[in-house]
Amino acid sequence: MALDSNRAKMPYLNKCSLIKQGAEARVYRGIFLGKPTIIKERFPKLYRHAVLDEKLTHRRTVQEVRSILRCRKAGISTPVVYFVDYTSHCIFLEDLVGSITVRDHIASSQESGQDPVCLSSLAEEMGKILAKMHDEDVVHGDLTTSNMLLRQGSEDAKPDLVLIDFGLSFTSALPEDKGVDLYVLEKAFLSTHPNTEQLFQRLLKSYTHASKKAPAVIKKLDEVRLRGRKRSMVG
Amino acid sequence: MQLTSTLELYPDYSVTQLLFKDVKNAAELRKNAMEGLVQGALINPSMIVDPFQILVASNKAIHLQKTGKMKTRSLFSEIIYNLSPTNNISEAFKRFGISDDDGAVYVVLVYPKEEAADISSIVSRVKGQQIPADMISTLTDAAKIKKLYKVSPQEETNGSLLDAVICRMAIKDVS
Ligand SMILES: Nc1ncnc2c1ncn2[C@@H]1O[C@H](COP(=O)(O)O)[C@@H](O)[C@H]1O
Repeated sequence: MALDSNRAKMPYLNKCSLIKQGAEARVYRGIFLGKPTIIKERFPKLYRHAVLDEKLTHRRTVQEVRSILRCRKAGISTPVVYFVDYTSHCIFLEDLVGSITVRDHIASSQESGQDPVCLSSLAEEMGKILAKMHDEDVVHGDLTTSNMLLRQGSEDAKPDLVLIDFGLSFTSALPEDKGVDLYVLEKAFLSTHPNTEQLFQRLLKSYTHASKKAPAVIKKLDEVRLRGRKRSMVG
Repeated sequence: MQLTSTLELYPDYSVTQLLFKDVKNAAELRKNAMEGLVQGALINPSMIVDPFQILVASNKAIHLQKTGKMKTRSLFSEIIYNLSPTNNISEAFKRFGISDDDGAVYVVLVYPKEEAADISSIVSRVKGQQIPADMISTLTDAAKIKKLYKVSPQEETNGSLLDAVICRMAIKDVS
């Protein structure tokens, strides 16, 4: 019923195609003001108190678009925000048509046994961009290789790395938060892509080169890794 | 010449954009709009990068009208307000509305789809030359826009000026 009430506010979504059903949000593809668009809809959570739920959902939506703007201002590529509807909690974003996820790119490069130099320059680029993002005090909250897209620009230019899904992002200057951000990526990276320990080290090295604040973050990353390991030994 | 679009979220509405240069009677037009003789938003074309910017402002204006959240008194003034990066209403009119000595005018009409827009009456009121709406970029003052929207060179390395403008328009209520 609650889902239907949200749908009544945004009947347009009936005409879009659902591409992802998550726990917090649904992602659709459609056309908006004539352009290919990704629509992210946060739906009501029935187990939460309605007023509280509304507040939390609003806050998340606001945080997501603020982080996107903050990144863009710093020169980090993200999809353009076209429109935000705070009544149905929908965000309308530029659809990066023809892009592929970094996840798929790494997987297919590994499969085809392609030149590992290409992947290491990608890892370096990732480290550089994450350093820039953290220097803006944006913590992504859900870094994975699926939340990074490669957009092919002009013919011979190297593809542009675009960060997506700031749904769990927040603003923080704490090295701990940034360290956890990298830890989440490390876990996702190494479990998604086998035999990439060296590649991930490249990423961290480039991160360290690119940010003056990196030593404190890497120190926290080491601590979080240790905690994670201890927990798994106990657990 | 004019550009008519429908809005996916509000399929009952149409938006028509008309662009005029060598305009001699901007003051009169502005007066007409205030008296309700011109049912449209009269915009300073130098602040517009692309017709898409107008569609984003119009879609948002209708959305805010339907949800009872408009900040100004009419749909047309709301379109002008939505173009501005700040929440200051009088500044929005000053920068994005037309001034009496302007030599070019961008007219935006929003109307129910089943009613034909009264395009000929607008065209006959404007003492100027109508040019295709998608020629707006020839009148854009990019330097002024960059300054007003505070677009840094580093932001332009990863997107166009239009991208920067659209993002600020979309997010301004919470930024
Ligand atoms: N702006 C976008 N452009 C192209 N594809 C996207 C975009 N946003 C999301 N996707 C795709 O949709 C999936 C789910 O989106 P998300 O929930 O934002 O991670 C992603 O893994 C991408 O494959």
